[in-house]
Amino acid sequence: MISPFQRALIEFALDNLVWFMLVFVLAIFSLTIPNFFQIGIFANIVEQSTFVGVMAIGLAIVIIAGHMDLSVESVAALSAMITGILFCSHGIGQGYTLTPAWLVIPVAALIAIFVGGVIGAMNGWLVVKLQMNAFIVTLASYIWVRGLVVAISGGRSAQDLAPPLRFIGIETMGFIPLIAWIAIICFVVFTFIMGRTPFGRHVTMIGGNAVATFRAGIKVDQLVLLTFVLAGAIAGLAGLLLAIRTSGATANLGTGMLFNAFAAVVIGGVSLKGGVGRLPGVYAGVLLLSSIHTAINLMGLPAHYTQVILGALVLAAVLLDTVKLSIKQMLA
Amino acid sequence: MTVETPLLRLENITRNFGAIDALRGITFDIHRGEVVALLGDNGAGKSTLVKIIAGGLQPTSGTMVFEGRQRSFSSPAEAKAAGIETVYQDLSLCTNVDVVANFFMGREIVKRYFGIPVLQEAEMQAAAAQAIANAGTKIPSLRINVEHLSGGQRQAIELNRFVHWGGKLVLLDEPFAALGVEQTRRGLDMVKRIAAQGIGVVIITHIMAQAFQVADRIVVIRHGKVAGNVRTKNTSPDEVVRMITGEALEAAAQEMRPNGPQLVQ
Repeated sequence: MISPFQRALIEFALDNLVWFMLVFVLAIFSLTIPNFFQIGIFANIVEQSTFVGVMAIGLAIVIIAGHMDLSVESVAALSAMITGILFCSHGIGQGYTLTPAWLVIPVAALIAIFVGGVIGAMNGWLVVKLQMNAFIVTLASYIWVRGLVVAISGGRSAQDLAPPLRFIGIETMGFIPLIAWIAIICFVVFTFIMGRTPFGRHVTMIGGNAVATFRAGIKVDQLVLLTFVLAGAIAGLAGLLLAIRTSGATANLGTGMLFNAFAAVVIGGVSLKGGVGRLPGVYAGVLLLSSIHTAINLMGLPAHYTQVILGALVLAAVLLDTVKLSIKQMLA
Repeated sequence: MTVETPLLRLENITRNFGAIDALRGITFDIHRGEVVALLGDNGAGKSTLVKIIAGGLQPTSGTMVFEGRQRSFSSPAEAKAAGIETVYQDLSLCTNVDVVANFFMGREIVKRYFGIPVLQEAEMQAAAAQAIANAGTKIPSLRINVEHLSGGQRQAIELNRFVHWGGKLVLLDEPFAALGVEQTRRGLDMVKRIAAQGIGVVIITHIMAQAFQVADRIVVIRHGKVAGNVRTKNTSPDEVVRMITGEALEAAAQEMRPNGPQLVQ
């Protein structure tokens, strides 16, 4: 028999496996790849993790609640495009300005989050009220929202975002860009919400057994709807950050991010069956993916290999998850 | 001796599904602290009756008097609010969270900081530990996810939770169907302990031995009617089997063992 302390230790290791993997991978890269071990590289990894990271938060929450949101990528693109059209001064940008100029930051944030929230509410309403399958509903949104982005932009792009917004994209604090700090703050806030508030607890339990939570008097429909709104709103924020980083928006902005976000969520230990997963793990998953991207770039490998490695990594993560589960069952 | 008001009195409960009469006038009482075993062949109407008591179905006619007041529950939530609940194995637990989270499901203790409700884990754990210790149940750790616990332990959590939150009448539908011998024995002990706290227990079972081990009274349902209502110590398995299969004349069974404990005094 193992002592409670050993058991706690093993459980801690299993729960934070992806962090250990991240440290391990970074150590290997630092030792084997020339020029990898420098602060600029690490800062770059953190910065690259911003967009997929923020998007993955909402995706993870919906998946933990036992559903699915494929629309986050297109929603981010829509928010980015609307921000771009309103506050860019070139291309299709209308170049609206506010006085004082910094007011554009909260206004753009509110608009981006609101746009995302509206799409999320539509998804959630169809899933909860009309009992439609979340996979299909959000697949449809994935398609039509992207179509809307192309339609409102006419396929053209918006450039030169308002200076106060660009400031966020350029400035750094402690080597890390401000936008990356926003992602980190999002992870901290939502980790707290999921772990320490009744909302997070209920969402997790709904993902585990929706019937039981309903029988316990928890407002399941309302909460599930809220997770979709949250996922949309967070995706909207990711879109804004993307627009800030690229100082504008193009019709194909962010394509392919959905799969990276999905990969990060799965690698981070979120079960697609629902009810299992924690947000710090998801962030570690995103950082892991970015690290591998960066390493491949530094090694001068063709970028196409990234996808092969990514796919293998997702498979490995799922395999690891089953191993984790059997270890936990042995412990119990 | 004064006659105590029964916890739940069923008077002439009927229920049809279209042309089919599932229940044809069920009348019996359940008292506080009493374990009533509900027996009957498949299709006799036990499940329908249990659903009606727990608010999942509404009777076609007849009345239910709970704690001296006539009640009709239009949903399981209403029945639950009154203190009546069905405990189904695994249907009311979230196995992906720990024991404490399940214990406080939907009733979490929170403290507000700047208007944000924050779970008070230590407080909840202490309360859950207290309740589970009082019931004499052993759970290795309250912080372990329920998926790693045995069927018996899960049942214990559900029942302790029910008692802790002011449950008065619990309905158990085949509670030990999936349990081993040792777990079943512990489960039966637990049912007795719960009844000893003044809670009414209705237990549906197919296993005669279990009914005789745990029940104070056996109610047999046959063709939607009460075919027998006897104190366990005044009957025998053979007699109960005859009631279930209808060999004993219904009238005779009723006459030989008059209704309920208050008349037996």
